[in-house]
Amino acid sequence: MGAVSQSAEINEAYLRAQFQRCSDFVLRSFTLRDETRLMLVYLDGMIRSESVEDNFLKPLLFDGLPQGIDRISSLVEMFRREWLPLTSIKTEDSLDGLVTCVLQGCLGILVDGETSALVAQVQGYEKRGIEEPQKESTLRGSKEGFVEHLRTNTSLIRRRIVHPQLKMESYTVGKYTQTEVVLSYMQGIADEQVLSVVRDKLDKIDTDGVIDSAYIEEWLENNSFSIFPQVQNTERPDVVVASLLEGKVALIANGTPSVLILPITLWSGLQSADDYFERFVFVLLIRTIRYIMTFISFALPAIYVALSTFHPEMIPSYLMISIATARESSPFPTVVEVFLMMFIFDGLQEAGVHLPNQLGPVVSIIGALVIGQAAVEAGIISTPIIIVISLTGVATYTIPRYSATLPFRLIRYLLLFVTGMLGFVGFAFGILFLLIHLVMLESFGTPYLSPVAPFDGKRIKDILIRYPFALKSGRNKKGMGR
Amino acid sequence: MIRFLLRTSVLMLLAGAASGCTDFIEPNQLAFVMGTAVDHADDGEIEVSHQIVIPTQKSGPFGGSGDSDSFVVMSAKGKNVFEAIHKVQKKMTRRLMPSHRQLIAISEQYFQKDDVSTLFDKLNRDPANNLRDITVLVKGDLAKNFLLLDHPMEHLSSIATGKEMEINGMNRFSTRQFIIDSLSEGTRPLVPVLQIEQVKVRSKETGPIAALSGFAALNKKLKIAGFLNDAEGAGAVWMSGKGTFHAITLPWKNGKDTLSFRLTHLGRKIDSADDHDPQRIVLTVMAQAYLLENTTSLDLSETHYMLEVQKYMNDKIREDLQLTMDKVQEWGSDVFGIGEYLHRSSPYWWKSQKDDWDHKFKALDVTVRSNVQLRSVGASGTSFN
Repeated sequence: MGAVSQSAEINEAYLRAQFQRCSDFVLRSFTLRDETRLMLVYLDGMIRSESVEDNFLKPLLFDGLPQGIDRISSLVEMFRREWLPLTSIKTEDSLDGLVTCVLQGCLGILVDGETSALVAQVQGYEKRGIEEPQKESTLRGSKEGFVEHLRTNTSLIRRRIVHPQLKMESYTVGKYTQTEVVLSYMQGIADEQVLSVVRDKLDKIDTDGVIDSAYIEEWLENNSFSIFPQVQNTERPDVVVASLLEGKVALIANGTPSVLILPITLWSGLQSADDYFERFVFVLLIRTIRYIMTFISFALPAIYVALSTFHPEMIPSYLMISIATARESSPFPTVVEVFLMMFIFDGLQEAGVHLPNQLGPVVSIIGALVIGQAAVEAGIISTPIIIVISLTGVATYTIPRYSATLPFRLIRYLLLFVTGMLGFVGFAFGILFLLIHLVMLESFGTPYLSPVAPFDGKRIKDILIRYPFALKSGRNKKGMGR
Repeated sequence: MIRFLLRTSVLMLLAGAASGCTDFIEPNQLAFVMGTAVDHADDGEIEVSHQIVIPTQKSGPFGGSGDSDSFVVMSAKGKNVFEAIHKVQKKMTRRLMPSHRQLIAISEQYFQKDDVSTLFDKLNRDPANNLRDITVLVKGDLAKNFLLLDHPMEHLSSIATGKEMEINGMNRFSTRQFIIDSLSEGTRPLVPVLQIEQVKVRSKETGPIAALSGFAALNKKLKIAGFLNDAEGAGAVWMSGKGTFHAITLPWKNGKDTLSFRLTHLGRKIDSADDHDPQRIVLTVMAQAYLLENTTSLDLSETHYMLEVQKYMNDKIREDLQLTMDKVQEWGSDVFGIGEYLHRSSPYWWKSQKDDWDHKFKALDVTVRSNVQLRSVGASGTSFN
């Protein structure tokens, strides 16, 4: 079906056919005093009905059309130009376009005998207010987090970068969800090549729906089989703003509070927003601890197994005897024991995520009792392994971003597996394969390990030390100073 | 190609895992050897004893309760070290793990009757030995008896001796050092000597304790050249550059009062005399002294007394060390490494001398000098009496 017909009946029939069995579809037709027939179409709950009533219906029904209408040939034009006190209003010539607009929550106004419809943006649905981000909380810094509503999110960014070089390109993705995705970047700072790749990929997304920005993430990635994420997601506007100023690109999808940032490196997953808010000397300490803990989070179980069962001569004598004493009555080999504990730990964690809030304490009690005490007292699990696994578990959560912890949780199992068979030889092989993979990996043209490999002396200042801002000249690419 | 490699490696890994193809060994399958004793046995055999920790599931690493059940000594005789150890292993339910050994004790008898150098072939050849353990000589008893001893504070006698050596600043007597000294041409090993003494440790209990009672100087063939007592031994350790700190007590000029010093930053320097004559050697010992006890009436906060004491102290130290030096020189055992110095300073001269160094060392003219700085006299000036 094509253009808006002159006949109100045809239009009405078409719209009713399109919105068949849609209980929230409202089509209200009424006749003005001068016999002009008007038709309002909208989806109930998607528009601000008070606004429509106050601005449109009341004056029209009570007062009628203003005199001197001859000056304007079409009523639609008149409404658009003079009548409706709304900021966003447009005309729509095709019926399909009208349907799309109505689905997005606009009010459609059809006038009998005219071949274009009026579309008024009076969306007014319920949305969540801005809250503090739950996943990435910081001690200092902004407490605002992204919400599901796209325009709220873009405004959060826009308020922080008051400059016309901040661009927001809009794309529509998803056959059924018609999700609006905004590509945001700083013109002149962002890499044009990255931009064209992202635009290209956004155009090529062929999916039924975008439920979360994660769906877009998978379509954008070059290497979907890698265990490492190539796109960062964040709930924090300040993180997005910092990334934009570094020349990165952000993607904001409607309906999801996590905004995608790309390209990223391994290190961006290990940096917290707080790193930039505290004094840099302290940050040096904190980052050192975090990097060591990150290493512990994937390597400690494997190192423990390698040391205690393959190379006991490498452990200091007294410590080795302590370990031997603790393990005297253990029925399982160390590898099996460590694997069991890791399995239980991850299982408990998964249970904790899905449990309703009221049942949360149950898991922690059972977990603490069963694993912490009963297993040790029964002599099934030895204490050093409890220490190793809990340290590993704690270490995992020194990584500030949740999605950055996931690869390390996986590597932990793989490393344990090879180390359990080959000792430190296996460990070395595992680390070697990991490094080979990381060196080969790219996120939109940026090597995943840069600026460490390939080495970039300027940008490396931000990896461990975070130089004071005045000294940190090594910005990502060309562009304005911060 | 990459996919093929990936699949092959994954398959190989899985094959390895599925067939149980690993060679890990659990700590509860290991017997940790903490000390080894070597004794002479008849018919040209040697007896090797291992002191093995029993890890028990009680509080603390060594079990806590009962003293006697924290270790076991297993011994066996054999023609060489390996055979004896192998026989020990046959009696064990767990694999012997010598890498954590603290100490190797060799009896005086073995030094006299057998060739010690053959012992260390096994230690050098077998990578499982870390050579960080200490080699000691047990005087007047079997080395095995030393391992069998209980110690009132530590759970194992070998750990006790290791700690005793370390806490007293003698941490350069590892087996590694012993082997280096015995193989080099210009140095002879200096071995700590343990003697088993009866000590009253509690009101009702008198027990044997192995105590450090000096050093033994060995000759080229690793036979005992002579024993130095505790004080002489400490001086020899200082002069051989192996000491870290040391304490001395000197009688004052009147013969009645005494002065005690703690010496730190021990060092020594070997030089030829002014005319670069390799036959005339000057050995200078250096240290920093801290006065710890003073029963004389001198007020050491006065600078001139302090200088007097420093001069007197240096004289006494020089005298004592010269006596020790002369004694060791008579035995012909160059534990100080003077030969090594001469090897470097006069290589051509050394070539003609090195063959019979033990003998030629006796004829050397060695002068000891002392350069000890008195750094502190403590908080009070005069003595309290």
